Amino acid sequence: MSPDTIYSSDSLSGDLIASVSDLKVYFQSKQGMVHSVDGVSFDIVDGEMMGLVGETGCGKSVTARAFMQLIQTPPGVLAGGSIHFKSQKQCKKCTGSGCDDCSNTGREIVDLLSLTERQIRELRGDRIAMIFQDPGKALNPGLTIRSQVAEVFQEHRESDVFERAGIADTMSGLTSYLLKQYVRQETNFITKLLLKFPPFSLARKKVDKAINGLVSDALAETQIPNANKIMERFPHELSGGMKQRVMIAQAIACNPDLLIADEPTTALDVTVQARVLDLIKDLQKRHKTSVLYISHDLSLVRRVCDRVAVMYAGKIVETGDAETIFINPKHPYTQGLIKALPSMTHERGKLEAIEGMVPELIEPKAGCRFASRCKQKKANCDKTDPELKAVSNKDKSHKVSCFLYE
Amino acid sequence: MSSADKTILSVKNVKKHFPIKEGVFQKVVGQVHAVDGVNFDIKEGETVGLVGESGCGKTTIGRCVAGLEALTEGNIYFDLPSDKIALLEDSEKQDDKKVSAEQIEEIGNSYDIGKIEGDLFNHYRRNCQMVFQDSFASLSPRQLVSDIVSRPLRVHNVCPENEVIPRTINLLEQVGLGAQHLYRFPHQFSGGQRQRISIARALALDPKLIVLDEPTSALDVSVQAQILNLLHDLQKKRGLAYLFITHNLSVIRHMADKIVVMYLGKVVEAGNTEDIFANPQHPYTKALLAASPDLQSEVTSGMAALDGAIPDPARPPQGCSFRTRCPVAQPECGWEVDDVVRRLEHKDSIFNFLKEVDQSDAFNAKFTFETEAAANQLMAAMKSDDIPDAMKKMVSKLNCDAEHVTVSFKPAKTVPLIACGNGSSARCVLVNK
Repeated sequence: MSPDTIYSSDSLSGDLIASVSDLKVYFQSKQGMVHSVDGVSFDIVDGEMMGLVGETGCGKSVTARAFMQLIQTPPGVLAGGSIHFKSQKQCKKCTGSGCDDCSNTGREIVDLLSLTERQIRELRGDRIAMIFQDPGKALNPGLTIRSQVAEVFQEHRESDVFERAGIADTMSGLTSYLLKQYVRQETNFITKLLLKFPPFSLARKKVDKAINGLVSDALAETQIPNANKIMERFPHELSGGMKQRVMIAQAIACNPDLLIADEPTTALDVTVQARVLDLIKDLQKRHKTSVLYISHDLSLVRRVCDRVAVMYAGKIVETGDAETIFINPKHPYTQGLIKALPSMTHERGKLEAIEGMVPELIEPKAGCRFASRCKQKKANCDKTDPELKAVSNKDKSHKVSCFLYE
Repeated sequence: MSSADKTILSVKNVKKHFPIKEGVFQKVVGQVHAVDGVNFDIKEGETVGLVGESGCGKTTIGRCVAGLEALTEGNIYFDLPSDKIALLEDSEKQDDKKVSAEQIEEIGNSYDIGKIEGDLFNHYRRNCQMVFQDSFASLSPRQLVSDIVSRPLRVHNVCPENEVIPRTINLLEQVGLGAQHLYRFPHQFSGGQRQRISIARALALDPKLIVLDEPTSALDVSVQAQILNLLHDLQKKRGLAYLFITHNLSVIRHMADKIVVMYLGKVVEAGNTEDIFANPQHPYTKALLAASPDLQSEVTSGMAALDGAIPDPARPPQGCSFRTRCPVAQPECGWEVDDVVRRLEHKDSIFNFLKEVDQSDAFNAKFTFETEAAANQLMAAMKSDDIPDAMKKMVSKLNCDAEHVTVSFKPAKTVPLIACGNGSSARCVLVNK
C-alpha cells in the first residue's frame, strides 16, 4: 500500500482528499463472477463536489459503498485496487512533521480497503459519512430521531459529550466507568440500576442533556424547524424531505472530511429536492467538506458538481470538469446520454435513444463495454480495452476512454 | 388527425375522498380529499399531461379515469357525442331550463363510466387501458408473456383461439419485442422491456385512450428515450389519446399537447404546453419550473424552492390551497385559524401551555392557555414578522382576555379557475391583475 498513488495524477490542481485506483469489486453469482466495478480510478480534490453519474447497474453505488467497506463479502469480492484517503488526523509515524508515508503532508493516509473492521469503524460516520438514497429505509423505524442522531456522538464524540455536560474534569472512579458504559450503550442490569439513583443519576441527567444539546444543534444545522420537538418523533412521523434532512444531520454531525451522497434526492419531489440540494451545497461550502455525489440525473449533477466522472458497465468512460463534460462531451456514451434527455429542441418522437441494452457483466470479454451500442464502433473496439487518457495535452483533467481520441 | 376535435373523455367536477378510519369499530373520523373537483377533457389523438408533486392526487385521477376507483362525486363521460356535450354544457348554466333532468340522467346512463353496464361498459373497458408505473408489480410473475399479452384478447373474445398467438406476436413486434420473447417470464426482462410488455398488453384491444401512470419514472434516461419514442410512434399510427401522468416536467414538456397542473387535489393551472412553459401564471407552476433542473438553463441561476410542506389533505386550507407556501400570498387568498398554528408552531414554547382550542369554524377560534403570559406571547407573535402582512390584513378580530385569545378572520371563498387567454386557466387571485 504505497501512498505514491495519491499524487499519481499530475493533471489535478490542489490537494487530493481521496484517490481511487484500479478498484475492482466483483460479485459471485450462480452464472459466474459479475464484474460490477472493473478497474475504476478517480481522485477527489479537497473541498470539491465530485459527481459520479451513470445508469442503473453501472456500479456507482458499489463504488461508493467500497469507501465505507459496506460491501458484503461474500457474495462480494474485493478483487483489487485501493482507495487512499487522507483524513484530518495526524500521521502516526511522524506526528505531523511530514514523512514518506504521508507524502510530507503530516496527515494520515490510509487505504480504506485494507483497514480492519475496528479501524474502519473509527472512520465511518466520523471522517467519512454517507447519505443514503431512501431515507425511509435508511432510518431505523423503531428508534426516535434523537437516539439515531445521538449514536454518532456516542460512537465518536464521547469526550465532547462529557465536556458539554461539564463533568469531564470532575469524573472519577465508578462514576466515570458507569457514564462511559452509559454513553457507549453497554450498560447491563446492575449498571443501569446504579445509574437510576443518586449520585450517579445526577451525572447521568447532565450527560442526557448534553447529548440532547448536541443532537438538536446537529438538527438545527440542517434547517429543521423546531429541532427539540422533532427529536422525540419517529421516522414515520416525518415527511420525506424532513427524513432526508435528519440523514444529512446524522452524516455531518461529526464534520466529516468526505461526504458520500448516494442519490440523496431521488425519492423526493422537485421542490423538496431543490431545498435539499441547496442545503448540501451550503453545508459543503461552510464546512469545506469534500462530497462524492452519486446520481443518475445529469442535469442535477451539472448544477451541483465541480467535476464529473461518467460510469458505464463498471468502468469510467469519461471524466473532467462538469461544464466541459456537458458542453463538449467526447465519449459516444456521454454524448448519447445527454441527447437522450427530453428537451425543448427535440421534436416529439425524435429523441436520440441509445439503442440496445447494458451488456451482461458476468465474466465480460475484453474490449470496450460500450461497443455493442456504439454508432462509431471501430475494428479494435471489440478486441482491446481502451484506457482512460487525457483528450488533449492542454486540458489534462478531461479524460476519456475511447479509441476515437487516440 | 382529422377527428382531433372529438372529445373522447370528459372529467366533470370529479371528487374522490378516502375515509380515515379509527378505533376498534373502524369509525370514520375524517376524509382525505385526494381529488377535490377536477375538470378536464381529452380529445382524440391528443396527449394530456398531468403534473404535480407526490400526494397531489394525480395517480388517483388516473385510477378514476381507468375505472379502478368509484368516484365520491362528479362524473367521467367516455366517448360522448358532441351534441350531448352541448346539452351538458347547457345544463351547467343554472338559468337555462331547456335541459330536463331526465335528459341528463339518460346521458349518464349511457356514457358515465360509473353508471354504464353490460355492452356499454365492455365498450369502455376495451377502449380505455392503463400502463402502470411499476412494471415489477403490474405483471404477474407467474404468467408467461404470451399469457399476459393475450389475456385481454381472450377476455373480450375478439378473435378465434387459433388467431390469438399470431396477434400476440404482432403486438410484441409493435413494441419492439418479438416471437422469441413469448414464452418467458417477466423477471427475465429488463425494466425497459417489461414496460414494453405492459404497453403491448394495453394495446391488445386497440383502445382509444391509454392512461400512462409514470411510465418512465423507474427507467434510465437512455431507455426512457426509447419508450417515449415508442409511445409517440404508436400514437401517430393508431390515433391514440394519452393521459400522461408524471412528475417529470421535461418529459411532459416533450410529450404533452395540454398540461394540467395539480396541487392538493385541485387543478391549479391548465392550458397548452407551450403557453404554460413560456408564461406560467400560477405561483406554484412557476416554483415547479424553477425547481426542476434542465440541461438548457443557466447553471448560475439558483433553484428557487418552496418553503414548508404540503398541507394535510384531510384538512385542506380554505380559499387558495397554495397560500400556505406561496411567496406572493395576498390578503384575499383566504386566511384561516389553521394558518396561525402553521406559522407559529415552529416557534418554541408558544403552544406549549395551550389548554384547549374552541374552533367554531375555519375562520374563528378561541385559544385557552394555562397562563396569562403564554396568551400574551401569542398576541405578541401575531403582531410580529412571523405573520405575513397579507394575513394580518385579514384578521377581523384579535383580542386577549386573561388567558383566552380570540382570533377571527374575514371569511373567504374558494378561488375559482380563472381563464387567462389562449384557452389556459389558473387558480390564483393574481391572474389578470
